[in-house]
Amino acid sequence: MSNPFLSIETQPGRLVVKVRGQWIFDEVPALEAAAASVSPEAGQSVVFQCAGLEDIDIAGAWVLFDRNEQFSELGIKSELTGFKASHFKFLQHIIDAAAIREYEEPSDSPARPKVMKETVERLGRSTTAYIEDLGEIARYILDGVRKPSLIMVGETIKHVYTTGVQAIPVVVVITFLIGIVTVHQAAGQLGKFGATVLVVDLVSISITREMGVLLAAIMVAGRSGSAFAAALGVMKLNEEVDAMRVLGLNPNQVLIIPRILGLVIALPILTIFADIAGIAGGALIAVGTMGISGLQFVERVAYSTDLTDFYVGLSKAPVFALLIAMVGTLRGMQVKSSAEELGMKTTMAVVQSIFMIIVADAVFAVLFTRMGI
Amino acid sequence: MDTIISVRNLVNRFGKHVVHDKLCLDVRRDEILGVVGGSGTGKSVLMRSILGLQKPSSGSITVMGQEIVYHQPGPSRCWGVLFQGGALLSDLTVQQNVELPIALHSDMPVETRHELASLKLLMTGLSLSVADKYPSELSGGMRKRVSLARALALEPRILFLDEPTAGLDPIAATEFDELITYLHDNLDLTIMMITHDVDSLFNICDRIAVLVDGGVVAGSVEDVVESDHPWIRNYFGVPRALRARKAGRESRDGK
Repeated sequence: MSNPFLSIETQPGRLVVKVRGQWIFDEVPALEAAAASVSPEAGQSVVFQCAGLEDIDIAGAWVLFDRNEQFSELGIKSELTGFKASHFKFLQHIIDAAAIREYEEPSDSPARPKVMKETVERLGRSTTAYIEDLGEIARYILDGVRKPSLIMVGETIKHVYTTGVQAIPVVVVITFLIGIVTVHQAAGQLGKFGATVLVVDLVSISITREMGVLLAAIMVAGRSGSAFAAALGVMKLNEEVDAMRVLGLNPNQVLIIPRILGLVIALPILTIFADIAGIAGGALIAVGTMGISGLQFVERVAYSTDLTDFYVGLSKAPVFALLIAMVGTLRGMQVKSSAEELGMKTTMAVVQSIFMIIVADAVFAVLFTRMGI
Repeated sequence: MDTIISVRNLVNRFGKHVVHDKLCLDVRRDEILGVVGGSGTGKSVLMRSILGLQKPSSGSITVMGQEIVYHQPGPSRCWGVLFQGGALLSDLTVQQNVELPIALHSDMPVETRHELASLKLLMTGLSLSVADKYPSELSGGMRKRVSLARALALEPRILFLDEPTAGLDPIAATEFDELITYLHDNLDLTIMMITHDVDSLFNICDRIAVLVDGGVVAGSVEDVVESDHPWIRNYFGVPRALRARKAGRESRDGK
């Protein structure tokens, strides 16, 4: 049996283990197997002869040390001898570290988790956390508007640009496409009743009342809600928010209010673009493929849809904007310690704001129906 | 003496700004080399080039005989890096941070990995009570020690330190210097250290490399101090450098 790392010689009353070769990090699994193969019989002592070592590092030395300790714990006399000085210093590290470790008090073993208790506690904690969230938002807003400053105006305009103006192309394209899809789908069904022309009513009412604002809001939630959370989160991690406070700038004024205001201004504008693009998309298909003339289309839109429908859609925009901006900024400001947390909060911002948009839209639908609008 | 890192005709250019102009530098086995230079002279760029994190405009770098290619796995088993801010992974605990490189490079059993990581933490002067903490719960000095433990996890031959004592109080900085010397003496390490701490320079460095005018002036501590390049004279002529030099000489004579 030839092991590249050691050879075992049985002498009366003891095992002499001649250690040799490369006792280094890369070989650790093999080294452990080799060390484990040293198994003295009862009453035998063990001597590790280390003069033949070619190379050793901390990992290799630890394997030797560990086996030696195991023997000592089992009451077997065991020693490590014959080290070259240049090799022994690696072992010395481990002996030192082990001494420090003995000295340190053993840590308490972790308590057994109590599932029921923890679940209830977590439920309570998240409930209070949400209530605290609400309070925090209120504080940001109140604190932010108490003493309006010039910085706010500039920042607000910047955010109108980045969240609104820059989003126009993508919002226009998607609502245009949705307009096309709506007309296409509806034409097949309404055509069965010989009422193809009613697709115009359908597309203009659904786009102005619901689809335009909803699509714009969801797009903005994905685009700007995440951007708000990520930007504020990174600023928190970089201590920029703290730096602002120390400089006498109110972060709520400089960071939060402009974002909220900016979005509240931008989303209604986007909604108008969305409405126009959606109807234009519908018109393209209706006029192009269904034999409805341009004049007929315009007439039908004017007949079926009045300004109330347009206002119904538009009136939801600021509310949706408020929800997106509040959730986005709040989650961003809640980032405290790590990059992981930043990702989590950004995801939360997007998911929660879209969720809240849909819920708010449902509430609006009920409300407007009750009011008979 | 063996050359362990060899940088030949390194050129790094950012737009029109030339940071390194045909820079040549050798790092010898078992030495502690201190790298200094004014801001913008490319200390970090040099280190990043050697580590393969930066694509040089031209030139060649070999580490332990292996050519370094940008973003290709270099001899990562042979080197450990202590980044300036520690660069610990923030969502892993201290223990996990140190175990990670071991887990990536070896298929040793979990308990062994765990033991070795604990050992490295103890060697860098940390108590094992920090093992289950997250980096954000540690002080700056402790974070550097954990980062050093991680750098040592794979039994490297070369250690790169980027401003190891920056941001530490004098006591902690001195302790850190002592730790570096101790590890250097006992683990057969070659150390390349970017530093602005003149105390570290005079106390623990064997040689100094000063980055000036896109090139490098390297030599023993005393040689470099006597250089007549204006920036170097200026650097070592300020009162704190003179004091550190005196103290360094005294402590060396005392040994």
